[in-house]
Amino acid sequence: MMAATFHKPATVDDAVRVLTDAGEGGRPISGGATLVAMMNAKLVEPDVLVSLSAIAELKDFGRAPDGTVRIGAMRRHRETAFESDLAGGQAVVAKAASQIANPPVRNMGTIGGSISFADPAADYPPALVAADATIEIAGPDGRRFVPAEEFFLGWYETAVEPGEIVTAVLLPPAPDRAVGHYEKLCRVAGDFALASVALVLALDGAGTVTHLRLAVGGCGGGPVRCPEAEALVVGAVPSAERIAALAERLVEDLDPVDDSRGSAEYRLQIVPRLIAKAFEEALTEMEPAR
Amino acid sequence: MTTKTQDVTVTVNGAARTLACAGTTTLLTVLRDDLLLTGAKRGCNQGVCGACTVLIDGRPMRSCLTLAANLDGAEVTTVEGLAPRGELTRVQESLLKQNAVQCGFCTSGMVMVAHDLLQRSPDPDVEEVRDALSGNLCRCSGYRALVDAVIDAATGGAA
Amino acid sequence: MSVEIPFGAVGANVAKLESAEKLTGAAQYIADLSRPNMLHAAIVQSDVAHARILGYDLTAALAVPGVSAILTGADFPDGRMGAFIKDEHAIAKDKIRYFGEPVAVVAAEDEETARAAAKLVVVDYEELPAILSPEAGLAPDAAIIHEELESYLKVFPAICDGNMASYTELSEGDIEAGFAEADVIVEGEFETAPQAHLAIEPVGALAEIDSQGRITLWSANQSVFRVQANVCESLNLPMSKLRCLTPRIGGGFGNKMEPHIQPLVVRLTQVTGRPVKLILNREEDFECVRARHPFKIRCRTGAKKDGTLVAREMDVLLDCGAFGDDSPGVLGYSLLMSRGPYRIPNVKCHGKLVYTNKIRFGAYRGFGNPQVSFAAEQQLDEIAAKLGMDPLDLREKNLLQPGDAWFGGGKVASNGLADCIAAARKASDWDSRTARPAPKGKRRGTGVALGAHISGLLGTGAIVRVLEDGSIALNTGAVDIGQGSDTVLVQMCAEALKVPVEKISLASPDTDGSPYNWGTTASRVTYTTGRAVVGASKEVEKQLKDHAAQMLECAVGDLELRPGGMVGVTGSDKEVSFHQISLRAHWGAGGPIVGHHTLVFDQPTVDPKRAIAKGLPFPQIGVYSFICTVVDTLTDEVSGKTEVDEVWTGVDVGKAINPSLVIGQMDGGFVQGMGFALCEEMVWDGPKLANPTLLDYKVPTTLDAPYRMHTTIVDAPEPDGPFGAKGAGEIGLVPVPAAIANAIASAIGNRLHSLPMKPEKVFRAMTEHDDAA
Repeated sequence: MMAATFHKPATVDDAVRVLTDAGEGGRPISGGATLVAMMNAKLVEPDVLVSLSAIAELKDFGRAPDGTVRIGAMRRHRETAFESDLAGGQAVVAKAASQIANPPVRNMGTIGGSISFADPAADYPPALVAADATIEIAGPDGRRFVPAEEFFLGWYETAVEPGEIVTAVLLPPAPDRAVGHYEKLCRVAGDFALASVALVLALDGAGTVTHLRLAVGGCGGGPVRCPEAEALVVGAVPSAERIAALAERLVEDLDPVDDSRGSAEYRLQIVPRLIAKAFEEALTEMEPAR
Repeated sequence: MTTKTQDVTVTVNGAARTLACAGTTTLLTVLRDDLLLTGAKRGCNQGVCGACTVLIDGRPMRSCLTLAANLDGAEVTTVEGLAPRGELTRVQESLLKQNAVQCGFCTSGMVMVAHDLLQRSPDPDVEEVRDALSGNLCRCSGYRALVDAVIDAATGGAA
Repeated sequence: MSVEIPFGAVGANVAKLESAEKLTGAAQYIADLSRPNMLHAAIVQSDVAHARILGYDLTAALAVPGVSAILTGADFPDGRMGAFIKDEHAIAKDKIRYFGEPVAVVAAEDEETARAAAKLVVVDYEELPAILSPEAGLAPDAAIIHEELESYLKVFPAICDGNMASYTELSEGDIEAGFAEADVIVEGEFETAPQAHLAIEPVGALAEIDSQGRITLWSANQSVFRVQANVCESLNLPMSKLRCLTPRIGGGFGNKMEPHIQPLVVRLTQVTGRPVKLILNREEDFECVRARHPFKIRCRTGAKKDGTLVAREMDVLLDCGAFGDDSPGVLGYSLLMSRGPYRIPNVKCHGKLVYTNKIRFGAYRGFGNPQVSFAAEQQLDEIAAKLGMDPLDLREKNLLQPGDAWFGGGKVASNGLADCIAAARKASDWDSRTARPAPKGKRRGTGVALGAHISGLLGTGAIVRVLEDGSIALNTGAVDIGQGSDTVLVQMCAEALKVPVEKISLASPDTDGSPYNWGTTASRVTYTTGRAVVGASKEVEKQLKDHAAQMLECAVGDLELRPGGMVGVTGSDKEVSFHQISLRAHWGAGGPIVGHHTLVFDQPTVDPKRAIAKGLPFPQIGVYSFICTVVDTLTDEVSGKTEVDEVWTGVDVGKAINPSLVIGQMDGGFVQGMGFALCEEMVWDGPKLANPTLLDYKVPTTLDAPYRMHTTIVDAPEPDGPFGAKGAGEIGLVPVPAAIANAIASAIGNRLHSLPMKPEKVFRAMTEHDDAA
């Protein structure tokens, strides 16, 4: 009935070419965890499917000499969750990966597929914003690089244009001794987030915050970061009062909706507490080193 | 309405099978409708319930979220292929003895994830087992007996 | 009282008979079946909640290649079905009564084609105001959902009016005098939410017509006989023209007891002459089968200073949904359970059941009991708090005692509740509960609730045959929906005849060959069908002994059954085998040995000398099982999210025929009840269910369910129960929401009156309390 041609190119260039030719009816498919579910529900009915499974470079994980990590778009959530090389501040991405859905889905789903779908309640978006990730996108004109903060445009929308595919996620080195933490509230294990907080935090020897990036998920069309709020803590000791001030400022930028996971009102109430918890966890994790 | 199919060769339970698949056909549909391996169940078709879980290249995955056309050269193991006919694996045996099976609709998927766990972690603790089974919904058992049966299979009934 | 179990088949943890086929993928469920030349069907669902159907345009859908037939309400007979009120056609005819109601059905060469064509069916509606709550349904100018309600056939003396499908009342004693005696009175409103059954197997059916016009129907069901009755009533078909069978069933919980889409495939096979299969997808299963009733409850309880309960008043309002289904039963049963297992001399309860333009609400494990228990068991804790009493002591003080009657006057023969409490109290170390530490960031709470539930109701039968070789064939017509009744019934037959379980075959339910069985519902199979199995086995024993007496030339009274299928002369080594006897019966004298026994549960629910009942649908209901459940919960201080840490249950099911299966019912009932209590929520966006998927409707996983669940089975044999057994299927769920609510209240200092107790509700109650303190 549903007719879709299936392609399995061996290179990114070929994938982009087929997708470009396919126009609006074309879809790249990586792990399938999201796209096939939507196809089964008849929410999308592609004419052309372009499998990314045979493209070797998309499966790679590597670290550049400057400490930048490159996670190929086809890396499975399981691989990212157990990636021992994601330590310190970059660990926020591994911690988020470990909380996606459940083990069999983590065996299938990929980082590229997940962020391309851009469910605002998904785990990667706030983690990538907190990690200051850059998304590598391939298109007919070659590769381009988009910061995570500009990648998620809101409610299932991303910076990826038709004919383009996400090829990798790049994580810059976090400051020395930085810690990454991901705090998620969900109804049952494996659910999308009611609300989530990702942060990367570093302190100096005096306990002063030298680095902070914090993003909230599940409270609007995309991950929310507020540099103005972060500035209330950076350069100071992260006291409960300062963290509360940060949260109070950040909450102003949230735009949650009521849905079957919970009310907007609750999300606004809960986020400051999740932020406080995330700080507490991150600071606890730092303790042995301090 | 044209149906575009392509031939895909997949090893299913040890035997190579060449299948004519439409681009959007899932592995679950192929297993159930073409190969008549109905052990994997369709509970939600969205990857949540876990009743369709099979091993693909040795890892438990959702057959309902897997496009058959993408599986050329892959190895698939279903619940029918775990043990020779008339025999049970240790974890199947343990689930049977402990009466951990109720309606049975989730059982195939549970068996696959439990089998995979014991392959990778021969002596798991309760938390490991709970985590490994957490993507498979069971509405009958309350899970405790399933967890105990997996632990028991690991310890050979010594626990 | 003790029960003699000399052979040992009863009381043993026999592994379920069909587990191996389930573990190897060989078990066949409805979706696994197919017939040659079979068509596949798909439904068309309404996208309005309340409307008159003006017409259909099938042109585009019929033009899809591969479509065989499209049936609308116009193509169906005008028969009506319904367990209590015959108010439901096989498919929407003339009118739509809820959003998502099947309005047409398509048969095609494959499912994909049928679903694609279904999307092209156009229905022309004249919309009517949608009634989305019982209050709206009772408003004086409300649109009427069933204009012909008065003329519908009802199987009980229903009191109905406008959109009110049923009014029921039950009272004992003098309520005013009771409250006048009370030193403390607690009063409150409680609300419970709908819950989806979510058997992992969605419903489905397959029908095939033969050349004589007789139809065979396989379907996911809890009773082949209810399937037969419902299909025949809605399609005006003689019951002799329909044979109903069952494959393996992937869970029921009440969802598969009354009809779903079986009449649609029967009509399609009649029209097309070909076998037709229809399997609902998960979304359809959510939207158009049935769900647990939401209740609004006003409850008032009075006690004396010393803790003696003196009065209880309860008023319930039930959303019926679009069709009566089992709702009048749920209303009546909830009132019967409103006093709980306590001595309260003055009780007055009444309730209304109101049609709305929502999915039908129907039978669901607990059948109204968890809802009223949620209110009543919380009020006991409130009274205990006011009186400074221990909640468990207060309950024990007021316990229904052995020999006491149930509310309404029904007889309670066995009552092991005191032992259940003792078991749970000890196992949970109740008295030191407040000393248990909580992990950092969590608040620990401990709560208790008691419960009772019937097993019984209506007709059942069993046939036991001795085959030529002396092995045994058992046939009951009871559907095993996964809980293990097949195994339990075989264990009882084995015990009665002292033959190994392996020597007994069990027939799959078949309306052609099985004796009548009302169904796998009301926790009844072990108790009622078990009685029939024991009765039929006794009949076989008698026939075996009659033969043996002639073969061994002795008196019948001198004979005994011996383990392994032998009949021997007491005190002597003279014996004959079942095999020898059966050969004689088949080939020589007397005829093949067949024992049968049928019964209908016949103890009255109400004693008119004690109680006043109006509109109560169950004149004879059942015997009582009892439970005490203690839970420890942990509430997250950040979010209010609550998890259950540990559970201790004492349960009286009379006699556990297979203890591991009883424990399976307690574990499973607990976790399903915990989902109901904490996280499961059907959310409506106007008339439309907003979360009919497993991505959006969440049930507990292994990581959410407590691993530490401890069940103590208490023996309290029921005098007429088979080997003393009573039911175990529902009772494990009954006290769960109340016990968890009581635990949360002890943890956060504030009490929740509505379900589900999801994080945000607990959070609000917790912060309200903290802010006040």
